[in-house]
Amino acid sequence: MEFSSQSLYAIIITAVSALVLLLVSLFHVAYLTYAERKIIARIQQRLGPNRVGPRGILQPIADVLKLIHKEDIIPSGVDRPVFAIAPLVSLVCAGTGLALIPLWQNFVLSNFNVGLLFILALSSLSAYGVILSGWASNSRYALLGGLRASAQVISYEIAMSLSLLSVVLMAGSFNLQDIVKAQLESPYKVYLIPQIIAFFIFWVSALAETNRVPFDLPEAETELVAGYFVEYSGIRFALFYLAEYFGMVVMSALAVTCFLGGYAGPFEIPGIPFFWFLIKLYFLLFIYIWIRATLPRYRYDQLMGLGWKILIPLGLVNLFMTALLKLLL
Amino acid sequence: MDLNHLVFYYLALGMTIPGILAVISRNPVHAVLWVLVLILHQALLLYTLGSEFLTAIQIIVYAGAVLVLFLFIVYMINLRLEERWKVFVRRSGIGLILIFIFVFLLFKTISVFLALVPAFKPKLPYDLAQASNLVWIARYLFTHYLLQFELIGVILLIVVLGAVFILKKLQEVKNDSF
Repeated sequence: MEFSSQSLYAIIITAVSALVLLLVSLFHVAYLTYAERKIIARIQQRLGPNRVGPRGILQPIADVLKLIHKEDIIPSGVDRPVFAIAPLVSLVCAGTGLALIPLWQNFVLSNFNVGLLFILALSSLSAYGVILSGWASNSRYALLGGLRASAQVISYEIAMSLSLLSVVLMAGSFNLQDIVKAQLESPYKVYLIPQIIAFFIFWVSALAETNRVPFDLPEAETELVAGYFVEYSGIRFALFYLAEYFGMVVMSALAVTCFLGGYAGPFEIPGIPFFWFLIKLYFLLFIYIWIRATLPRYRYDQLMGLGWKILIPLGLVNLFMTALLKLLL
Repeated sequence: MDLNHLVFYYLALGMTIPGILAVISRNPVHAVLWVLVLILHQALLLYTLGSEFLTAIQIIVYAGAVLVLFLFIVYMINLRLEERWKVFVRRSGIGLILIFIFVFLLFKTISVFLALVPAFKPKLPYDLAQASNLVWIARYLFTHYLLQFELIGVILLIVVLGAVFILKKLQEVKNDSF
């Protein structure tokens, strides 16, 4: 690799598009919190945020400003460097996956050959943010939350990998761009129809991976106050929230790519290239919020039982069936 | 010095310094974290060598699974005892002998490698560049190294069965005591 003007140009282009992607996704994450509050309020027959701007539309910006201006308290008993790194680890591991997802035919930030594996690797690394914050906080609530979260993330990781492996088996590639193309060439156009079981497993484990209701045991307010980030305040606390919502966006985008045909739609819409991708993404995010407003929290043994005794065997059976059908047909 | 060298030197430093820090840090959790930094740099090194699959697997297996279990263990048991200096020093004699043996082996391998250099040519097939790295690894695993691959599968199965067996025994003991 030489320092030529051409490669420099390519590097600058990549950096600028990464920045744009980051800003757009940050905007989405901010308004995802607003959408969540509004939708849950509507489901629970409340009004939701309605003071800042018309219909409360500026609420996320006000929240961000408030969190930035709050005092950043570091409790005296904590392990300082680990305490400071943990939220960043969470955020980076949750957000980086977005770079690998093909948002459009001609737009993917990094067309990595084993993109799907890399996203799985990142989501397995995101367990560190939770474990480290739980340990470094030097608090019982945080430690328990961290233990719960890491056990949960590790067990559901396996189910998620199994469900994605059957997609890989059907597409014959780990490259996300190739997976979308293989879907479009298949008779159903989307893998949701032949792989409905895999989609179910993926979705349940995605809920568990991002610590969302009904699997929000690590941050169960009624038992653990707030779980692993109970000692955090101000902007560091906001980083954990940001990581959770980034995780939701990445998991939904992965589901769109692997099961719902990615950027393709029933007909072309001129001028708006990302239209179908965003529509599918918003729909899945809405389901996330809908589930949160509807379901109660699982008990811990139920959570582990669901993961190990139902989802993983189901995923294995689905994988075998997929392989068998692929050999026979 | 071009970019390749710079990246390599950075990665080499990124692997040696955390390695040393992992050995000398007193706090076991910090030691595990330094190993994590080391493993991530190792994964990047594999990427610069053009092996995307091994990069992802390195992160999934070592960083995502093995080290998390390590962290779990040092998290659950109280390791205050090891933080005291004396426990480290008591067996320093054996340690010194081991270090001597390792240094000897290291120099031996380096000298063997240096002797190889003029004749050394990468023994990779030319179609490596054409097919993806993953396809190439899969082809070799399922044709050339099939026996070894299956053997590893059997060994891992035995490990899983052993774990289940131990757990079952523990449960029986627990039931008897009630």
